Amino acid sequence: MPADAPGIAMLGDSLTAGLGLDTPDTYPSLIEGRLRAEGIARGVLNAGVSGDTSAGGLRRLPWVMETHPTILLVALGGNDALRGLPVADLRRNLAAIIEGGQQGGALVILAGMEAPPNNGPEYTSAFREVYRDLAREYDVPLIPFLLDGVAGDPALNQVDGIHPNPEGARRVADVVWRALTPHLSRLRSSS
Amino acid sequence: MFVGRMIQRELRSSWRRLVFFFICIAIGVGAIVTLRSVIHSVRQAFAGEARTLIAADAVISSNREFPAELTTRITARLAEAGAQSTRSVELATMVRGEAAESRTRMVELKAVEDGFPYYGRMTLAGGQPYDFRLLANGGAIVRPELEAQLGLGVGDRIVIGGRSFEIRALLDAEPGRRLGAFSLGPRVFVSMADLEQTTLVSFGSRATHQRLVRVPDAALDALVTALRGDFTDTFARIRSYKAQEDDIGEDFERAENYLSLVGLVIVILGGIGVSSVTRVFVQQKIKAIAVLKCVGARSSQLLAIYLAQVVVLGLLGSLMGVALAWVTVHTVPGLLLRGATPGVTINYGLTPSAVSQGVSIGLAVSLLFAVVPLLDVRHVKPSRLLRDDSVREPRDWWQLAAIAGVAVALVVLTIWQAGSWRIGLVVIVGLLATAGTLHVAGLVMVRAITPLARSRRFAVRHAVLQLARPGSQARIVLLAVGLGSFFIVGVRALQENLLQQFALDVSTEAPDMFLIDVQSDQVDAVRGAIRSVQDAGSPEPRLIPVLRARVTGVEGRELQLERYEDVRERGSLAREYTVTFRPALERNEQVIQGTFWSDAGPADAEVTDVSIEESVALRFGIAPGDLMRFDVLGRPMTARVTSVRRVNWGDSRAGGFMFVFRPGVIDKAPHGAIGFFKGPVDDKARARLQATLVQLAPNVSVIDGREILQAVKGVVGNVTLAVTVVGSLVVMSGLLILIGAVSMTKFRRVYEAAIFKTLGAGRPLMTAVLTVEYGLLGLLAGTIGAGAAVGLTWGISRFALDIPFRALPGLTGGAILATTVLVAVVGVASSWDVLTRKPLGTLRGE
Repeated sequence: MPADAPGIAMLGDSLTAGLGLDTPDTYPSLIEGRLRAEGIARGVLNAGVSGDTSAGGLRRLPWVMETHPTILLVALGGNDALRGLPVADLRRNLAAIIEGGQQGGALVILAGMEAPPNNGPEYTSAFREVYRDLAREYDVPLIPFLLDGVAGDPALNQVDGIHPNPEGARRVADVVWRALTPHLSRLRSSS
Repeated sequence: MFVGRMIQRELRSSWRRLVFFFICIAIGVGAIVTLRSVIHSVRQAFAGEARTLIAADAVISSNREFPAELTTRITARLAEAGAQSTRSVELATMVRGEAAESRTRMVELKAVEDGFPYYGRMTLAGGQPYDFRLLANGGAIVRPELEAQLGLGVGDRIVIGGRSFEIRALLDAEPGRRLGAFSLGPRVFVSMADLEQTTLVSFGSRATHQRLVRVPDAALDALVTALRGDFTDTFARIRSYKAQEDDIGEDFERAENYLSLVGLVIVILGGIGVSSVTRVFVQQKIKAIAVLKCVGARSSQLLAIYLAQVVVLGLLGSLMGVALAWVTVHTVPGLLLRGATPGVTINYGLTPSAVSQGVSIGLAVSLLFAVVPLLDVRHVKPSRLLRDDSVREPRDWWQLAAIAGVAVALVVLTIWQAGSWRIGLVVIVGLLATAGTLHVAGLVMVRAITPLARSRRFAVRHAVLQLARPGSQARIVLLAVGLGSFFIVGVRALQENLLQQFALDVSTEAPDMFLIDVQSDQVDAVRGAIRSVQDAGSPEPRLIPVLRARVTGVEGRELQLERYEDVRERGSLAREYTVTFRPALERNEQVIQGTFWSDAGPADAEVTDVSIEESVALRFGIAPGDLMRFDVLGRPMTARVTSVRRVNWGDSRAGGFMFVFRPGVIDKAPHGAIGFFKGPVDDKARARLQATLVQLAPNVSVIDGREILQAVKGVVGNVTLAVTVVGSLVVMSGLLILIGAVSMTKFRRVYEAAIFKTLGAGRPLMTAVLTVEYGLLGLLAGTIGAGAAVGLTWGISRFALDIPFRALPGLTGGAILATTVLVAVVGVASSWDVLTRKPLGTLRGE
């Protein structure tokens, strides 16, 4: 493993890229800060691309895995939902990403998303199931909903109603941090 | 008593000559009334179009549900303004056929209430009339694409939000569809009451809540302002049909501004026509006045006689002008519009305000211009009967006061016409400056041709002497014709420049289908699928590679940004940019600094090449030779700036990118593509293509822009047509007025021509003299006018219409030539009777 390998690579969309936010306010930067506070001098690779779907994430995976991250956080699906892409494809793409991450030697953590209610009850429940099923199937840690407690709250989002504001991003960092805590030892041991 | 009888006699005795004056006034007034009416009709049509674009007078919208408190507020405001409103919700949702194995498709759902739309019409397939009952109680109206994609038809049932709906009609076109809006799927209409039965609108839903408002026009602006105040710090927004924020709105605004300017121009042109007629009319009467003075008429009586005559003539002429306008308005647009886009709904007709404006301008201008010369009546001595030279009396206070009064009245008139102090004053100052320039230019040019007076050819010599002679009509005609051609060329050139700006690419070749999120391994298959269904002759589909990158540092001569934190302080330089790579420039680009590569660079280069857009160079002070560091999907990449590009953003067919990389290094990074292409014309083929693409590459979203492009095309077509109609009318009426102004000089020239004939000049010689004289006059006036028009067009394009200026040498040259020929032909033709008749009659008549 190269010396500058990131501790965590975060493969995501605009929520990860931090659309509308300054870089230090994005949740990957916040996590990096918390790692440092814990005495873990490992970088966080922000591999978030605004507008990216699970299909795009799958294509970017090799590029990200070449950096040999210890942990791969997969935070995709929001754009699939906004565009109403078939749930079956989301499942297939995410499964391939998890497999690729695991084969690359990373601990994969899956961040769940929710489809907005306007997509209809059939779509939203099938969408939610994808993350639960995959977490069980591949036995990976699951963050049930990345935007838990943030989505839909005007005080925590930018005017577009989709992207968290700095305060919202801090809450997202809390959610991610809770899921990371049990695995911090991995980052310590491999650094 | 005496005054009344004199008027009667004068009108009777010089009836023939008066008819001519009268016609000239009629043409001036007719032009004003016609154009003002046409402009008014066009504006109404614009307003209609603009309302159709939002289906209401104003739309209140929010991306979340209106809080109860705000709703109360809105309701109160609407009641206050006497407005009606209807609610609607737009959201994206999934639809499938009722059968369990049916495919699912994302659609753009719109829920409406009875009353929608306030403006425009819902057009259903097969000409079926729209009625809200089609939606009430579980009905749905869907676009034919959905029918094709799900294999469903009218009478079949679909599931939306867990509820079953019956497809009751197919939708052809709808009003109020946002232009340029990003569309994720075909439109489906349902009723608001049915939507509320589902859970589609609940916490976390992405939906646009709207209230369409219909309100009397007088109360609209106040309502919008009041609500905008209420909406501070909320997510609600209000938008009236007047303020379209998109390109189309800008085009409307430009067209409106153009029409206002043209309206002013035509008033001035008409004014020039009327005033030159009045002037000549009064000059003609000087001898008769001298006779009357001999027999003891008082100055005040004479003033009354001629002012009353002018009023009567002005009024009759103006009324005749209104009649003329009526005929024109009911025939000309029809002729011009024949064979034009069907479905244009501009109702041309005279408007009362245009009629009253025209008549009052006709009257006012003829009176104003009559008063100053008529005051001379007081100085006319009976000796005028014996001596013909103009004896200049020193100006008296009365006349100065009258001139001042006329000036003030003209200013007020212009401001009234312009509708604002600022524009009115600008126009007056511009007009005075132009008139002054024309006058000086006239003097200079007359002097410039004076050497020709020594020409050995009699015709040339005499014509030049005529022009250079003190007291000749030359300078007056120069002014009138110069101003006239100035305005005509100006209006015409503005029209060209304006329409050029509308040339939003609506050609049949223009792409109308768009692809987003094509993955690089899908590009070839997608391209193949498109090629196989495209109509013959359609251009190749364009698939442009895109990826995201951030600037993390700059090492330049002017700018040194060591770390990302430094970049961040430069504001937008730190944002996530969409970048591309390619080996060549696009059609809409030009290099303004440095050089663009012509091939791919080496794949192992440590520093690759990047080309930046002009605004990046200007705003951040980055120049060719500087090094930039990028974060490309989490990896650092260094690139040297090798060129600065200027992108024509108006022509965005090839997209516009702030950063274009040289292929070689960056293309190894994962990237997707966006695409645009011309889809097949046939609806079924389009739907099939969508289905194929969804199967081939499910992540690709296909956006069909045809419906929207067609709406845009219709609107642009209407605006273009209206501007063309008005522009053509200005040119036509301007020509008539010029003809009038030139013909007026005949009365001066007739007498001299008759004397020449008496002295033995033949008809061919006289024709030659007149041709050269008027031709020269036309050439001078045309050159000055057209030259000034280029300046005017530049100023207006730049400052009033906000469009780029293009010089139109063809138009300018053509205008000069046309003015020369026109003035020569009109001058000679109007003196024709002198040339053919025996001189004795003319000499006696005078």
